[in-house]
Amino acid sequence: MSTSYTGHPVLDPRFAPPFPTAALPVLRNPQLRKNVAHATDVIQTKRARLVAEKSDWQQLRTTAAAIRSHALDHLGDYLEEFETRCTAAGGKVHWASDAAEARAIIVELLRQEQASEVIKIKTMTSAEIQLNPAIEAAGIHAYETDLAELILQLGEDEPSHIVVPALHVNRSQVREIFARRMGLKDLPDDPKALTAAARNYLRQKFLTIPTAISGANFLIAETGSVAIVESEGNGRMCLTLPRTLITLAGIEKVLPRFSDLEVMLQLLARSATGERMSPYTSLWTGVTPGDGPERFHVVLLDNGRSPILARPTERQTLRCIRCAACLNTCPVYRQTGGHAYGSVYPGPIGAILTPQLMQMRRAQSLPYASSLCGACYDVCPVKIEIPKVLLELRSQVVNQERRSIAQFGDFMFIGMKAANMIFGGARRFRAAQWLGRLALRPFTRKDGWIHNLPSLGSKWTQTRDLRGLPDQSFRQWWAARGKEER
Amino acid sequence: MSTPSQSRRLILDRVRSATLKLPSSEPAPVGLPRDYIRRGKLGAQDRLKLMIERLREYDADVVECAPKDLPAVIGAQLASSGRQTFVAPTGLPPDWLAAGFVWKIDRELEYSEIEETEGVVTMAFCGIADSGTIVLHHSETEGRRVLTLLPDWHLCILYASQVVETLPEYFDRCPKPPSLATYISGPSATADIEMTRIKGVHGPRFLNVILVRDEE
Repeated sequence: MSTSYTGHPVLDPRFAPPFPTAALPVLRNPQLRKNVAHATDVIQTKRARLVAEKSDWQQLRTTAAAIRSHALDHLGDYLEEFETRCTAAGGKVHWASDAAEARAIIVELLRQEQASEVIKIKTMTSAEIQLNPAIEAAGIHAYETDLAELILQLGEDEPSHIVVPALHVNRSQVREIFARRMGLKDLPDDPKALTAAARNYLRQKFLTIPTAISGANFLIAETGSVAIVESEGNGRMCLTLPRTLITLAGIEKVLPRFSDLEVMLQLLARSATGERMSPYTSLWTGVTPGDGPERFHVVLLDNGRSPILARPTERQTLRCIRCAACLNTCPVYRQTGGHAYGSVYPGPIGAILTPQLMQMRRAQSLPYASSLCGACYDVCPVKIEIPKVLLELRSQVVNQERRSIAQFGDFMFIGMKAANMIFGGARRFRAAQWLGRLALRPFTRKDGWIHNLPSLGSKWTQTRDLRGLPDQSFRQWWAARGKEER
Repeated sequence: MSTPSQSRRLILDRVRSATLKLPSSEPAPVGLPRDYIRRGKLGAQDRLKLMIERLREYDADVVECAPKDLPAVIGAQLASSGRQTFVAPTGLPPDWLAAGFVWKIDRELEYSEIEETEGVVTMAFCGIADSGTIVLHHSETEGRRVLTLLPDWHLCILYASQVVETLPEYFDRCPKPPSLATYISGPSATADIEMTRIKGVHGPRFLNVILVRDEE
């Protein structure tokens, strides 16, 4: 496992190492941290400016949260309504209960098209189900067409952000990847030339490859329409030019009505990229004769979403519209970047979504990858109370551990029992203070800090310093002070 | 792997049993809190000023003209673009197709024929001043979607009477939900490399708007 831009990170929660371990290489990579800090600073500044100009921002958030909650409360009805409308408009709706089924459906559709190549719009859901390896295994080559996804695909890297997936890669790294993979020796490293290289590389593919795969920002139950928000126009290319379009969407993406977009579209781009609207928002409904694809498939993906609906605190997780504002503002994400989360959904939303999609059987370290500062809630356009969900998930993890550990052999259990005993009486507490001061003295430097502890204590000091115990406790100081005054 | 209809029932059953366990906390869509701003507060002049300002922030080129001058202004814009070959949707008024240029009318043109043109001229359904957005519903005057996608230069004719201030006002103007729509807010762009905004990735690199002052 490596989380550097040169290695290939593991973004599968089934195999990824725990967050603290995965974060270490990033924390030791100043270039990577600089790239992440720069990108998140730029987006946050733009976002803050545009949110400030909206006097009704809080009202929009409140309505958006209510629309999304309402859609989830009645999800079964809205999914069926979407299916009916989309089918009536010439689309074909498929249902995939898990990742394997979604992959199988899509590969089968590609086989029916006799596709040897397919063009793709950025879709985190396809990364979630690891679609590309399955397509390649079927002998079909997938071309990512979003600039950031193209950088990652050619660089054999993985996304580290939901909206700007290659934000950890800088221009000279992009230049190196493009020069090597596109055979452009003399490519300069300015973003304009790099973007032009991507345009040239993809142009003929848009015009000739007859099959495309997309995700979805919103499904509209009332009309059976799908909406996609993007910037580059690669999305419009994939949605318009091919003969066949396959859209993969999580079941939670449904909005009841077309007019709900009047709220969501005001929030999404401002939160995601700090723009009033993204350059292109596309809306289509089934198949339109003479305009766009002749065949349209929607694959509705459950893959661990439906159990989340049953839980009162956690249901709000599924309101998420994937704007990534919580990533940009998170003091933890801003230090570690995305790969440390071991999931295509990093940051605060990933910390609650990933373990739940894994039915709390994997990624149990993620609910702890937070300082609970609440910045994620403040920026969330659909008001997901991420800290509250984090705490709920932490309690579930603790309960799991409580059930699973061999209690008396476990040092955490013994430690907690001991702490309980020590804090239970003043004399015991004073004795422990005295003992602790004695034990820690050899490790305390002149500046009063402890940088390295042996054995179990190293679990603390490998990632942060520990304040040494002062020579005098507060109670001792207070007692001494009283004496002096008398 | 289960059969298709089994998965459908499985998912819907799982969803319904989960949502039934927790009764709905939100009322029907009509009952949801909607305290955000629906109607803009600007007068007509300021609304158009804002539209122009927003478009220019996106590096779009905007000129204004009176209705009677429109054909001449279109001709001037085409000429100053330095381009020769243009494509137009079938519904465009014939007197807009300025003489001296090569015109292709989109009667089921092949993509390769559209790709060969240097620019496109269309009308719009609506303009939204708050975000500088041009709305296409892809009617006969707005063209099918590919038309405003492949050519590198897009000239859009927008009437002042089509400009609203807020996004909700656009939704109020839709008699029914469109089956196709594209909302264009500036030329295609990316910031994927070090957050440096680069104009023109795959969509048109140049967006030009003629705002026709038809309000009097």
